Amino acid sequence: MRKQHIFIYFISILFTISVNSQEKIDTVKTKESYGIRIGLDISKPITSFLDNNTNGYEFVGDIRVFKNYYAAVELGFSNKTTIEDYLNFTTKGSYFKAGFNYNAYKNWKGMNNEIYIGLRYGLSFFNQTLNSYTPHVKGTYFIPNTLEPNTEFKDLTAQWIEIVFGMKVETFKNLYLGVSVSFNNMLNTKEPENFKNLYVPGFNRVFLNNAGVGFNYTLSYLIPIFKKEEK
Amino acid sequence: MKKNYVIIFIFLFTFLSCEKDDICVETTTPNLIIKFYDNDDSTAIKQITGLTVWADSKDSIYVDKSLDSISIPLNLNENFTKYIVESNNIKDTIKFTYNRNDIFVSRSCGYKTIFENFQIESNTSNWIKNISIINSTIDNEKAAHIYIFH
Repeated sequence: MRKQHIFIYFISILFTISVNSQEKIDTVKTKESYGIRIGLDISKPITSFLDNNTNGYEFVGDIRVFKNYYAAVELGFSNKTTIEDYLNFTTKGSYFKAGFNYNAYKNWKGMNNEIYIGLRYGLSFFNQTLNSYTPHVKGTYFIPNTLEPNTEFKDLTAQWIEIVFGMKVETFKNLYLGVSVSFNNMLNTKEPENFKNLYVPGFNRVFLNNAGVGFNYTLSYLIPIFKKEEK
Repeated sequence: MKKNYVIIFIFLFTFLSCEKDDICVETTTPNLIIKFYDNDDSTAIKQITGLTVWADSKDSIYVDKSLDSISIPLNLNENFTKYIVESNNIKDTIKFTYNRNDIFVSRSCGYKTIFENFQIESNTSNWIKNISIINSTIDNEKAAHIYIFH
């Protein structure tokens, strides 16, 4: 009696599997838009408004090259004053990033959302101004004065690579909301004399091991150029 | 494929959380290190008894100690520091002069000051017999910068 139950159970499993495998492949064809998508990072004006020491903007753009591949660029400007315990400096400059995104998200028919992984090359041209510093001493026997040299270090450059993780959601027709985080690794920098590039536009804070993190929240619009039929 | 992303994410977060540049751990502005030697035998270290040390118009750093070397800070706001070194109630005044040079260390430490062209402009000789400068650049605390013979 019990054996029979087990036997029926296995038969039923095999039956359902075979039924599923006989299901016909959906052959409905849809058209997908290809074009240029342009937008801006809306988190940067917000932080500029909330934080007096930060000022910046960033434009983003991408082009769908193949079904799941997008060529992407970011262009931006940043003016940021960093305050540390013994230092105060302002970094001012512009940056450019170029690379691609791979969309790993399988969309349902007619949807155009993305969960992507990407790679970028970043380049920045900037100036650093050392506003003030206080020499660091142990103890409090002689308390050093804060000096204000206002030294400007001009024509500095930095190059780096980024791994980007993000997603884009089509909220209205051709209007996308996107969010992404990037993990940056510095390739090379032109360092100021007797100072260090502790902040680089586009790269953000430069950590000790030359790593950095970035974040953006974008609003972009797709300008459709042509439609391609997808299977 | 999605599992791989999760692994990469975790890896990168742990990698970044290892940062330790918020706390100043590097060596910064050095102190002046003075070692005391015997005037009769210039290779023999000779302890000082009843030693009290203070900078001009400041509190004492050492009070009634018996030591063979001292470590004292230099004034970073001036190009000179005047110290009074007292041994068994006998006072001697030494005036050090130097040029200050600020060197960048790190984000958390900022700048340190090193002292170059270090000289003794003047000193009284009540118990001090002789002073010799071993290193005229004070940029570390690894060895004594001046010897005082008594």
